[in-house]
Formats: sequence, structure tokens, C-alpha cells
Amino acid sequence: MNDSVVVLTLAGAIVAGTPLALAALGELLGQRSGVMNLGVEGMMLVGAVTAILGAEATGTPWLGLALGGAAGLCLALVHAVLAVSWRVNQVVSGLALVILGTGLSSYIGKLPDPPLGDRAPVERFEPVFSGGPADVPILGPILFGHDPIVYLSVLAAVGVSAFLYRARGGLALRAVGESPATADAAGISVTRTRYGYVLLGGLMAGMGGGYVTLALSGTWQDGITAGAGWIAFALVPFASWRPLRCLLAAWAFGALTNLNFTLQLLEVDVPSDLLSMLPFVMTIVVLIAVSARPRASRLLAAPAALSEPYVRETR
Amino acid sequence: MSESALGVELQGIRKSFYGQVANEDVDLDLRWGEVHALLGENGAGKSTLCSVLAGLYRPDAGRILVDGVEHHFASPRDALDARIGMVYQHFRLVDTFTVAENVVLGHPGTPAWMDRRQMESDVAALCERYGIQVDPAALVLDLSVGEQQRVEILKLLHRGVHVLVLDEPTAVLTPAEAEALFSALRGLREEGKTIVFVSHHLDEVLAIADRVTVMRKGRRVGQVAAADTDSDQLVRMMVGEQVVSPERLSGPASPGPVILGVKALEVQNDLRQVAVDALDLEVHAGEIVGIAGVAGNGQRELAEAIAGLRRPTGGSVVLNGRDATSLDVLARVRAGLGFVPEDRLTTGVASGLPIEDNLIMRSFGRAPISRGPFVSQRAVRQWTDELVERFDIRGVRRGLPMSLLSGGNVQRAILAREMAERPKLLLAAGPTRGLDVGATAAIHRLLLAMRDEGGGVLLISEDLEELELLADRIAVIYGGRIMGEQAAGSFDRDSIGRMMAGVRAEA
Amino acid sequence: MAPSRLRIPRLRLEPRGVPPIWLRLAFPVLALAGAGCAGAVLLLLTGFSPWTVYSAAGDAAFGTSLAWQRTLVSSTPLILTGLAAAVAFRMRIWNIGGEGQLYIGAIAASGVALAVADGLPSVIAIAVVLGAGALGGAVWAGLAAAPRARFGTDEVISTLMLNFIALFLMNYLIFGSEGFWRDKERLTYPTGRDIPESAVAPELWGRLHIGFLVAVAVAVGLWILLRSTRWGYTVRLVGDSTRAARYAGVRVPRRIASVLLLSGAAAGLAGAILIIGSLGSLEPRALAINLGYTGIIVAAVARLNPLAVVPVAVAVGGISSAGPALQTSGVPSELVLVLQGLALLVVAASELLMSNRIRFAPAAPAGAPSAAPAARR
Repeated sequence: MNDSVVVLTLAGAIVAGTPLALAALGELLGQRSGVMNLGVEGMMLVGAVTAILGAEATGTPWLGLALGGAAGLCLALVHAVLAVSWRVNQVVSGLALVILGTGLSSYIGKLPDPPLGDRAPVERFEPVFSGGPADVPILGPILFGHDPIVYLSVLAAVGVSAFLYRARGGLALRAVGESPATADAAGISVTRTRYGYVLLGGLMAGMGGGYVTLALSGTWQDGITAGAGWIAFALVPFASWRPLRCLLAAWAFGALTNLNFTLQLLEVDVPSDLLSMLPFVMTIVVLIAVSARPRASRLLAAPAALSEPYVRETR
Repeated sequence: MSESALGVELQGIRKSFYGQVANEDVDLDLRWGEVHALLGENGAGKSTLCSVLAGLYRPDAGRILVDGVEHHFASPRDALDARIGMVYQHFRLVDTFTVAENVVLGHPGTPAWMDRRQMESDVAALCERYGIQVDPAALVLDLSVGEQQRVEILKLLHRGVHVLVLDEPTAVLTPAEAEALFSALRGLREEGKTIVFVSHHLDEVLAIADRVTVMRKGRRVGQVAAADTDSDQLVRMMVGEQVVSPERLSGPASPGPVILGVKALEVQNDLRQVAVDALDLEVHAGEIVGIAGVAGNGQRELAEAIAGLRRPTGGSVVLNGRDATSLDVLARVRAGLGFVPEDRLTTGVASGLPIEDNLIMRSFGRAPISRGPFVSQRAVRQWTDELVERFDIRGVRRGLPMSLLSGGNVQRAILAREMAERPKLLLAAGPTRGLDVGATAAIHRLLLAMRDEGGGVLLISEDLEELELLADRIAVIYGGRIMGEQAAGSFDRDSIGRMMAGVRAEA
Repeated sequence: MAPSRLRIPRLRLEPRGVPPIWLRLAFPVLALAGAGCAGAVLLLLTGFSPWTVYSAAGDAAFGTSLAWQRTLVSSTPLILTGLAAAVAFRMRIWNIGGEGQLYIGAIAASGVALAVADGLPSVIAIAVVLGAGALGGAVWAGLAAAPRARFGTDEVISTLMLNFIALFLMNYLIFGSEGFWRDKERLTYPTGRDIPESAVAPELWGRLHIGFLVAVAVAVGLWILLRSTRWGYTVRLVGDSTRAARYAGVRVPRRIASVLLLSGAAAGLAGAILIIGSLGSLEPRALAINLGYTGIIVAAVARLNPLAVVPVAVAVGGISSAGPALQTSGVPSELVLVLQGLALLVVAASELLMSNRIRFAPAAPAGAPSAAPAARR
């Protein structure tokens, strides 16, 4: 029963949605502070390749994941310096990260001998519960069949949500994104806040990329994230900048990426390309629907100061 | 009172922006438990000084002492730590937050994990203690301007500040709201708070302040006790040696035919509320009609509706004998309208573009500036040189963005552009706001020349003195309606003031 | 003020109006050189000699007439996607959808070529096919332009989403279905159907075909349009301040929409030129090589000047066409991507220096150690 198509699909959706959720939550935090980072895909790729190198070198996926996160953070630092300190256009800077990250990850992957792509899989994350709860009919594989990072990502979403709406720091974060001048006048450092969350976003994107190689594939190949970074970016507006919606939407989009496989098993003939299109179509529809209603666009839309550099001394 | 302990001192403050000096060697001393007015014309450097005091700007030179101890404010937070806080002209509120969230924002005493109900009852208690009325659970975007100002003051009180800096707090208030603010401020003074009250209105200053520091052109002119001074002395200090002429600048008007007829005009603001309400107004050729009123009573919407930037929801606008109600902007310009908008740098000019692009904003659609679909570079250059010379626009170099010009020269450029189209009606909103004396005089001369050559001028201004100086008639706007009208020679400040507060003129 | 304290000179930025002409001309060169230097550091760190690698790349891109032909061919779509980005970005419309607009342009062009071009005179066939490509790109941009003009929907996200929708649509036509575009004879390796001979671009010089001239002509046309026409003037106004533009009587939403459509048309034209030029059929693998995103790099390096887009596109196209040659010398060809990313970063970072001049401010009073430069960087 536990290897029925439905159970496998749902369990697979959660696993496929986890890197999306990690990266999207990070991007969400950065955008809540007013900085849009288009470079998620680049940060994920660099994180993915660093993670696998790290896991090989240290023998444990945990350190690999940490190093992947650190690599993502390094790229995010470039974005933070340009976008926050130098007030460079955030679209241009973020796009540069995508291109740089894509190139750099492939470059790094080809340097070792033999190249990373030709190596045996590294040790991957193991499920938390072997046997026991994981064998419970139906719910077992869906709820208890996963590796620790899946549960950590759920914790992260709940934590981010609680932080945003209940914590003093979350209030400050939202204020910086909505009205940096107000936050500044209240004694909150706009620059420090934005740096902090952009870097955290990079860390989470890097870990999301690391999850792809260390939990999903175990190996490296060029462009392994296959657009996951873009989907993660799309998730943020799709979820109206809300963390819990973001997690659920990540699983839903994860399900879509797995649906091809499922439908093949069920011998339903739906073109896979059209399914892959769906997350992007849905994001556009949500975006237009929200912006078309004035009240909704005030309370559900992007933070008011998103993409706008903050300068205190203007005249 | 006179023996209050010395509180806060600013010594030798200097602050410049890109080479323009805003404050030069300014001293200010504040005692605990006083209302200290900072008086000066627009552009005298009052706001800059306040921003230095509140830690928003870092001074180029000078010292800040609190209770005799020197402080360096790197940010508003440092000032707040020294118990100095400011209410800015443009409120610093997050409008998607509740009142309570705004009040606790950034406060170090806010617990790391907040309890919404606790937070709201704390703020309600604070309101009660200081007699300030506002709903802690309301979203700021649903509040009126006066209520938002109260939230700003609550924020500072919640922080436990000893010095409240209020930058032109009455500019956005009706006289009744202002009176309520004054009584609140007196209450705060009784609690030992120090209030820095920025204004350029003499009567307000004399009504509320204990001591007055006067500023002019970035410098401190002097300091007097309110009890020992009168408005004449303060005026002399504000404007310097140059004596203000009590005479009207303009001679008698010789009005001709109606050049602008506004009938039963109804206009909505951005929030789709009625901002101009069944308003009637006429401007004749050869006269200057002034619109007086507190900001936010429909002036902006009225101006935009006349200029064709905002579609009225009812009524009509007749321009030069022609129904202009449904004409677009350019058609109105062709029908004889010139418009000097109130937001000089965001609406009046494209401030990132060079002067030549800005001087052709009215003429780019016709010969000789454009030929067919093309704009003639040579004609643009000629046009620019001609207007720069004729209207004495200074500091101009071709290719230089408008944003690098001084306010006075930007305004000259706007007027040059509008006058070059030979309008029959000039609509000017706050044309001298923030300008220095010289630039103001030049603008006044232009408006008078326009009138004397038989044009009509509709002058919207918050500055009553300016209106008294120039206008042949003053109409007072309140809540989007004209409350009453007075002709030159019989201006009566008291009754104009009452009308600005919403009291209709006696018939 | 205490006179005994040190006075520290400090840097400050002062806004300047227009950068001097020499700086404007040198900017693209300096930007690419800066990227090259950063790339050299990477090469050194990973055990290659930058000199060897760069001279090999230079030879591969510009060393022979064949290399020049290849470089110019690969720069052709970059000119157009660069123009697409430049036109929109000038108005501060962040159309990052050049990628998708290019795919749709290619789909439309190849579709029209397959449907009607057979038997038409070559001139007409090519004109019709190019027109279809431009129209396709414009329509795709219109999907973002309409909600932007109507509701103010953010175009960054919508144009980005449309890129992926277009990509999957194109993949579906060739890999996922056996539709009109698919060459049904080759079943094992799906490809597009070859377009009729009449729609294939005539060659000018070896591999270089007429598409390059079309791209250059569009660049000149757009330059004139933006610089010397009433329409271009109103675009400048809207780009600087929408409120000032409204005040000047410009219908802003309409202008925004029309610029987005024009931008999309340029990107769509790039797709069409690829179809009639080097590809000859709808070939997703050869189309989805980030030409739209690279166009944004080109536009940024060219500082959004349509004329400057042409030489910059040739330089960037040269770097791209050198990629395979690098592989033979042992350097991963992805170095090209790294260099492009670095170029974009260098350009972004130096924009601040273009519009400001650095001054040593008169010594700061040390009495205010917290006093930082007026323009906080």
C-alpha cells in the first residue's frame, strides 16, 4: 500500500519541494527587507557544487550542506554590497549572480580530475525514521519517510512565520521593507537589516542547492538545479510574501515537477512541458489578480520599498 | 521657569549638502520643561538643524551636549538613547502596520516575542495618560492626518523621550486641530518635557512658546523670551535689515472678461474621497485671485482638475470661453492655460533630464521645435538660450540635469516655459514655497507682470502674507469648498482665519 | 571645536550632470577589461595562464576571417536582445523577458515560414517572416504590458515568468508533440522542420548573413527614434518622472505599453533572424542559450545607448564564440559565462562612479568622528 502511486507522489512532492522551500524562504526574507535578489538560481548552483565537494572532502553531508550554504552566502554578499551599499539596480545585480553562479559552478565542477560529473554518488542524507513510523500505512512515507532537512525546512517556515508576525525583529524587518525611512527614524539600521537578510537568503539558497545534490541526486552535473532557483523566486510573489503559504506552495510546485513521473505510471498522457509551465502560469495569474484589486494590492502585494535603495540624506 | 536646569545644547553646528550650506555656526540651547520655538522663513535651515538634533543628519562641525555631556549621534537611535526624538513633516509611519505596532517599532524595551493584546493595552494606557485619542488596533492607512500625528507623538512618548522636536506640526492641521495639539503640548510641558516647535507662523509661536530662537539663511539670528517680544521684533529678526513693505505690491486691478470659470466642480482625491465639492470660482482677465487655505483642503485636486491632470466627477471648467472639462492637458495649454504645479521637482520638471528637455515640455509638439515626427536639436538649443536669457535662469549649462539647479532657478525655468506659451490664465500653486527672498521677489514680479498685461492669475498659496501682497481677491478653501471671498483693500485676517478653520463668512 | 584633534581627509561623492565624453566612450572598454582582470585572477587561482587563455580566445574570436564571421553571426541576436533591454531599461521598465520574447519570435517566424513562404519571392518571404517574429515577440511582451499598463502589475516578475512559459511551449512543440513545427521524419532525435529555401537569409560574407545588417539597421533606427523624435522625447520624460510626463500631456500607461511592445518586437526579431539565418528550423537547444539574458549584459555595458549596443554585442559575441576553442586548451568553456557575469557586476558597480565624481572633501572635523561622507555608500 505504501508504494501506491498516490503515496509515492505525495511523499515525492515534499522531497522535491524542500529545496524550493528553503531557497524561497530565504528570498522571502530578503524581499521583506526590501531587496530583490534575482540570483537564486546562481546561488543554488554554487551551493550545490560546493556542497558535494564539501561532502566528499569531509565525508559527511552535514558539513557539505553547511559549506554549500556558505557558498550561497558569499554570492549574496556581492549582491548585498552592490544593491544595499552601492545602490545598484537590483535586477541587473541579481541577474549577474545567475550568470556568474551558473558559469562558476560548471567551471568548478570541471576542474577536479576526474570531473565531478563522472564520479560515484556521495553519501546522502538518510531518513530520520527507519522502520517504525515510516511503515505506518499511507501516512508513514508521507509524514515520516524523510531525511532531516525536510523537517528542518518545515521548522524554518514555521519559525520564519512566527518571527515575522510575532517577534520584535520581524516587526523591524517588515518595517525596513515597507518604509525604510520610518525604520531608520525608529533607530533600526536599514543597512544592517538588509545585509543580514540578504545574506541569510543566500545561505538558505545555497543550502537549497546543497539539498539537491546531497539528498536528491548524490552526484553533480552542470545546471543540476534545472530552474529550481527560478521556481523558488516565483514562489515568493505566488505566496504573497507569506512564509507558510510559501512552504505549501513549494510542496505543490514540487508535486508538479514530480507529476510527470506519476502520470507516466498511471499511463495518463499529459505533455510534461505543459505541466512544467504551470508554476509560472499560476504565479503570473496570482500576481495580476492581486494587483487588480486595490485593497489586496496594499496588503498582499510586495513590500512597498522592494527594489528601492535607501538613502538617508536626500534633499 | 527661568531657573530650569540647562538641558540640551547645540554649539557651532555646520551642515552642508553638496556644497550648499544649510546650517552655519548655529547655537541652540534648550531647557528642561520649556516649549522652545524655532522660527524662520522657509529655507532658513530650521529643518536641517532639527534633523541634526534628532541624529538624522550628522553635522559637518559642531557639538551636541545633553546635560553638559557631549554626544555624537550617528543615527536617530543614538539621539533616542539620549532621549531626543522628532516628529517629521512627512510622518514616519508604516501605514500597513497598526497604531500599536508603529508605537513599539524599534523600541529596545519591546519584548523579543510580542503579545499583540498586551501591546495594544500598553498603548491604550499611554494614550490615556497623556490624553491622546487614537485606536491602538487601527491600521495607520485608515487614520486621518491629525490622528497620524498623534501616533507620531505617542511613539516618542513611548520611548520616554525628554525632548520632542516637532517640525512644522501645524502645516497639515486645521486651526481647531492645531489648538488641540497646543493644549496637548502644554500638558507635556507640565510633565517636564522639552518641546522644540518649528514654525514660520508668528502668532503660533507667540501663543505656545516660552522662548524663541530665530534663524535666517542657515544662521542663528538671536534668541528671545516670548514674553519679552512682539511680532514686529520677530519679523525684523526673520527677514533681516530689509524692511517688509506693508504696502501691497499690486496696484488696482482692471478686470476684464472671465478667463476661467469653474462651476459646481467635484473632484476626488487618490483615495476616491470627495476632495473638491461643488466648487464655483471665476478668474477675470487682468486680476490675481488668491486661494487661501490649510494644505490638504482640496487645493491640489482643484489645481489638477483645472490643469487636466485629474478627471472631475462633476461640474465644468470653462477656459477662455471654451468648455475645457473634457480636454486633455495639451489641449488646455493650447486653449491658454499655464500651470506651475506645487511639486516643483517631481511634477514641474523631469529633474533627471537636462534643462533643454524641460524647457520644451509645452512646445515639443509644434514648430519650430518639432518638424514632423522629429525634434529639431538646433531649434531646441535656440529656444533654450532664448528663455534662459529672457528669464534670467542662472547656473545653467546645457546637458546639466535640473536637479542640480537651485530651487529658485528651477522655478524660474518652469515659469519661463509656461509664460513662453503666452497663456491667458496662469495657475500657480505654491510658486514661492521654499525659495529665498530674491527668487520670491522675482516670481512675484512675473505674476504681477502677467496680470498687468491682461492675463488672469489663479494663485494657490498657504502663505497668507503673500496672498495679501499680490491678490486682488482672496477666496478661502476649506473641505473642498469656497468658504468666502474678500477683495483687496478689505482683507481681514481674523475672518480669513475663521474661514480657513471652516467657519463660513457672514453674508 | 577642539583644535588639537586630527583632521582626516575623506572621500565623498558629488553628483555630476553628464559624465565627460571620454569616460562615456571608455566605459564599455573599461568594464570588459575589469571583467577580464577578475577572470584572470580566477584563472591563476585554478592553475591556468591568463595570457595563454586570453590570446587563444582572442584568436578564436577575432583571429581569422572565419573567426570574424562566426563572431559577427553570434553577435547578431545579441544586438537585438541588447536593444530590447536598452529601450525598456531607459524607461525604467525592467523587461527581463527578452529570452521568452525571442523564443516566441522564433516560433512565430518559423511557423509563418513553414506555412506561407514556399514559392514566395525571397525578399517578400524574408520580410514576412521577420515581421512575424517581431510581432510574436511584441505579443508576448504584451502579455506583461497589458497588466502593467492596466493595474501596474510588476513587470520584472511577469516577464520573467513568461520566459519559462515560452521555453516550455517551444519544447512542447518540438519534443513533446508531433505538431506543425516538428520534422516528422526524424523520430529518434526530435528537431524542427526546415524552413523553405525562399525564407533562408542570403549570405553576405562567408557565414555572415543579411540578418546582421538588419540588426545594425534596427540599432540605428532606434537610436534616431529615441534621440531625435517626439516619441523618443516623451519616452525620456516618462523614464525620468511619470508625474512630469503626465504634466507634459503624455499618456503614460500607453507609452509604457508601447515601449514594452517595441522591446518585445526587437527580441522577437532576434528569434526570427536565428531561424532564417544560422538555424533554418525551430531548434530549442540552439535557441535556449540565454541570448535574452546576455542581451541585458550587452545593454548594461553599452549604458543603454542603442548605437553602443552594436560594438558591445560584437565583443560579447566574440567571447561567446571563443568558448568552444577554450575547451581544447583545457579551460572549461564556462569561463565565458563567468566572464559575462563578472562584466555585468563590474558595470553595475561602476555605474555609481559614472554619475558621481569622487572628491577628497575638505578635512573632516575630527570632533565629529561619527561624521561619514554625505553620500553614504
